[in-house]
Amino acid sequence: MVTNQPWPGRPADSDLAEPVPAIELRHATKRYGEAVALDDVSMVIQPGEFFCLLGPSGCGKTTTLNLIGGFIPLTSGDLLIEGHTVNDLPPHKRNVNTVFQSYALFPHMTVAENVAFGLRMEKLSKADIAQRTREYLELVGLSGLAGRLPAQMSGGQQQRVALARALAKRPAVLLLDEPLGALDLKLRKQMQTELARIHRQVGTTFVFVTHDQEEALSMATQIAIMSNGTVLQQGSPREVYDRPANRFVADFVGDTNFLAGTVRRDGGQAVFDVGSAVVDVQGDAEAGPATLMIRPEFLALRQGDATDGPRGLTARVVNVAFLGNHTRITVSTAAGEMVVVRPHGTRDSTADTQRELGEEVCVWWRTENAALIRE
Amino acid sequence: MTVASDGGVPSGPAAGSSSGLVKRFGRALPALPGLAVLLFLFLVPMAIMFVFSFWRTNNDFVVVPEWNLGNYARFFVEGTYLRTFIKTLIMAGLVTVAALAIGLPFAYFLVRYTGKLTQRVILLAVIVPFWTSYLVRVYAWQAILGEHGALNQILQAIGVIKVPLDIFNYDDPGVFVVLTYIYFPFALLALYASLEKFDFTQLNAAQDLGARPDQAFRHILLPQIRAGIITACIFVFIPILGEFLTPTLVGGAQSSLIANLVLNFLRNDQFAEGAALAIIIAAFVTAIMIVFRKSFRVEDVVTSG
Repeated sequence: MVTNQPWPGRPADSDLAEPVPAIELRHATKRYGEAVALDDVSMVIQPGEFFCLLGPSGCGKTTTLNLIGGFIPLTSGDLLIEGHTVNDLPPHKRNVNTVFQSYALFPHMTVAENVAFGLRMEKLSKADIAQRTREYLELVGLSGLAGRLPAQMSGGQQQRVALARALAKRPAVLLLDEPLGALDLKLRKQMQTELARIHRQVGTTFVFVTHDQEEALSMATQIAIMSNGTVLQQGSPREVYDRPANRFVADFVGDTNFLAGTVRRDGGQAVFDVGSAVVDVQGDAEAGPATLMIRPEFLALRQGDATDGPRGLTARVVNVAFLGNHTRITVSTAAGEMVVVRPHGTRDSTADTQRELGEEVCVWWRTENAALIRE
Repeated sequence: MTVASDGGVPSGPAAGSSSGLVKRFGRALPALPGLAVLLFLFLVPMAIMFVFSFWRTNNDFVVVPEWNLGNYARFFVEGTYLRTFIKTLIMAGLVTVAALAIGLPFAYFLVRYTGKLTQRVILLAVIVPFWTSYLVRVYAWQAILGEHGALNQILQAIGVIKVPLDIFNYDDPGVFVVLTYIYFPFALLALYASLEKFDFTQLNAAQDLGARPDQAFRHILLPQIRAGIITACIFVFIPILGEFLTPTLVGGAQSSLIANLVLNFLRNDQFAEGAALAIIIAAFVTAIMIVFRKSFRVEDVVTSG
């Protein structure tokens, strides 16, 4: 059984009201000449998290990872690992380890030698090295392949070697730089489950960089969505999905329908003018221009002349795509096209999924499932 | 990985029959011109030289078939030969070390920190001197290192020295400088070729795992470019064992290397003695190659794939 070693000098949790963050960035900035890769980012990563840095390429997520790993220096600001400022500490003295995107396995060493390398550098005894190498190869399920060379292994197996090699150092934080990017879809899904299991088993803080929102949602306990060198929102997967801070987050994480319009107070009730139609929004909304965001799975369809339930928008069905476990229906409204996703196999959705092309319908949603975004 | 494959040609029972022989001959046909060159321009002269080395040059400077070992004995008995040979080994060794010491950091810098275009331009610049004749390049060095050469004139002009220096002129240091200049490109190209295949993320990974930069270099980079380093050594060390032009033009009477002694024999029509000395050098080179070949094989297994 693998256990997480306490990091020397780490204050016992009971001494403090709050645990010491595994990683803390304070006004971290990284410039390359004129270009700003990371712009005054402050971020706290709690110990034991599976923390995902999510964003499109060039958003600063890999820069953040390289800063924590010590491969590039900060331009300004501070970086703390377990409460210690490590701004100028070289990589080999930091208690963090990295799983590189290309794995960066040593091709002239066997799998066991790769895993043992970091332990050799620590000058552990031969017996300890052998024991720990075995332990971590077992953790990633490669016990039988210790004598292989990396070139004799599949991409997925190489990935596991890289994982074992980094974890064997028992770091405070494990950094993973898009480690699943090179794997095919099926293997990637399998490794996602595998990574989540390993994370639970070792209890180490994982910081994971990806541009794949599905990967982030499925594995992370915390997600930070980045764009243009800043963090737009940080929260649990459900928080960033259900209550995105802005249009970029809503658009990047999951599929979303946006309706541009104006919030108006109508008596005690807030309503939303979208084109010529009016829909209800949650009561405390302030008046002014805004964007209403509704996830496709929260949209439902009913007969165009039906009047039960909340107000909706008149729409025409323009496409129906049956995708097995769900159906994607595209409808055209006065406010633009909207995508409706209905799950397969429940009785009340059957009517929804069997819409005719060109059919006149009403697309509606519950007010609590729509979020208002101010630009 | 050495995967033996027959190129998809079925090797059935027909292989021994006459049609199989025709097929085999057909396959070997493209190799025949090469084999002919090897046979008539290398193996046959080598054999003649080998036989000559056991014959004797008579007083009329004619090689006569009188079998003896005197030509070889002379190498070990007369001190000049052994001394010159050892000096040649030292010179070749020093030049090899210098070429590696200059070439390795240079190749590392090129591969790691410059773009593909810059690399190509610089490598071209390294190769361009080969477009000029060897002789011209060595003469050019005479104009730089000579008594009234550019180096002395500059040093005198800026007042560093009063009398022209002669250490680079008609002496071993001059030979060393010129040989380093001539053979450095070979070392650089060999090192470049092996470094270019190296994934430098591995050095980050090594440091990430707790290795100091020097440990990362020693444990990760060095083993993976060992084949390139050995190739560089062979490209530099072995040709210098046959160098006679640079010592003749840049060095003085004392700067002779072993190949100069071979040349002296040939100029004096002492073909048997010259042949024996040449065979000794060739045997020595072969021995070195056999030693290095072993380390080559180990690396081939490790670095492939």
